[in-house]
Amino acid sequence: MSVRHTILGLLAHKPRHGYELRAAFEALVGGDRNWDLKPAQIYTTLDRLEDAGLVACTSDLGEGQEPSRRIYALTPPGKAALQEWYAEGVSPDHQRDEFFLKLLTGMVSGEADPARLIQTQRAHLFRELHAATTLRDSYDPHTEMAQILLLDKVTMHLEADLRWLEMTELRLDEVKGQPLPEPEIRRRGRPPKGDKGSTYPPPKPT
Amino acid sequence: MSLIHTENLTKIYGSGETAVTALDHVSIKVKEGEFVAVMGPSGCGKSTLLHLLGGLDSSSAGKVVIDGTSLAEMKDDDLTKLRRQKIGFVFQFYNLIPVLTAVENASLPITLDGVRPAEARKRAAEWLERFELGERLNNRPDQLSGGQQQRVAVARALVAEPALILADEPTGNLDTRSGDEIASLLREVTKKYGRTVIMVTHDPRIAAYADRIIFLKDGKVIDETILEKKNGKNADLLAGKMKEIGD
Repeated sequence: MSVRHTILGLLAHKPRHGYELRAAFEALVGGDRNWDLKPAQIYTTLDRLEDAGLVACTSDLGEGQEPSRRIYALTPPGKAALQEWYAEGVSPDHQRDEFFLKLLTGMVSGEADPARLIQTQRAHLFRELHAATTLRDSYDPHTEMAQILLLDKVTMHLEADLRWLEMTELRLDEVKGQPLPEPEIRRRGRPPKGDKGSTYPPPKPT
Repeated sequence: MSLIHTENLTKIYGSGETAVTALDHVSIKVKEGEFVAVMGPSGCGKSTLLHLLGGLDSSSAGKVVIDGTSLAEMKDDDLTKLRRQKIGFVFQFYNLIPVLTAVENASLPITLDGVRPAEARKRAAEWLERFELGERLNNRPDQLSGGQQQRVAVARALVAEPALILADEPTGNLDTRSGDEIASLLREVTKKYGRTVIMVTHDPRIAAYADRIIFLKDGKVIDETILEKKNGKNADLLAGKMKEIGD
């Protein structure tokens, strides 16, 4: 997720202090509840961007003449880096799914009942769905359409996740009957005869 | 006969000083074939009520009874079975699968549940035809309008022939005209096809399509309005009530 490029984008809008940047970022993502970007991360990122020559920093004297505050601005190479970002597509990260890992590990280890996991997850997603709907309704469509669109996206994804859970629930028995994805073990020497691989549930030790 | 009823249904989140009462002794009855809307300000408990009715969450006290069986007494597996057979869900967004046609999308739940594809297709097509999508069976979602996609989603919720449809802000993402279309479709689902619909909405115009409106505030039922005649004044009446309650 490119905090780096978002910072470049905000600096392209206008030069800002580190503190102002953080506030602008927060406003953009709809509050620190959604995305709590720590000041340390802002400043490390700014340092790296400065080292790379993508932003330049000038000090101005504060109201009381000190301490001095650092104002960051975009440089021409920074602008080029930003343009590269805009020229690329963005891949969503749906395949890194924590619930999926929970379901699979719970199933192999026998530590969790898959049906229960699905039930718990469904209740959780429903609550998130209602939180998103409530938040969406609190925005004013005349002035805050961007926030509304972001929450529409959240809602759409949550509803899709709920549908996916429904499908998974219906096909759980099929998954249970199939071998689980396992790493390919490269054995030294000749492969043993009649290796069938593993199945779920794992055979009981005799 | 009531299809679903609750007795002193109570849900408390958390405990001790931080406990929040989301539902407070709610007792409602919904008859077979009835169209009920649940309204109320944000945080009034309408979503929690929908969760509990759908067996998605367990109550702190009181009970939900569907078709004579109390949900609290059911095991996980039975609850899953009940939800699959008796309850259909409709959401704000239709979330149809883009590469599948309307009829494939609508038949998916029963196809996955083991119904033969030809039979599943036939049943899905029947619902789609009832919803005036007979000419659109083989269209993909991107070839349908928002309202048409939501109609496919309603057909998908009905394909397993559930007795109860729970609709969660089903018109939240539609323009006024398509919203009216879906609300009137849900009404038809109750009147013509005898299903029961319970719908959460914040929109008085949409709620006006229901037979009865249950108003919740602070987790309690504070008012019930039966709409006898369908006329243009009902929406204003409901909007007035919402204002009174403090939306």
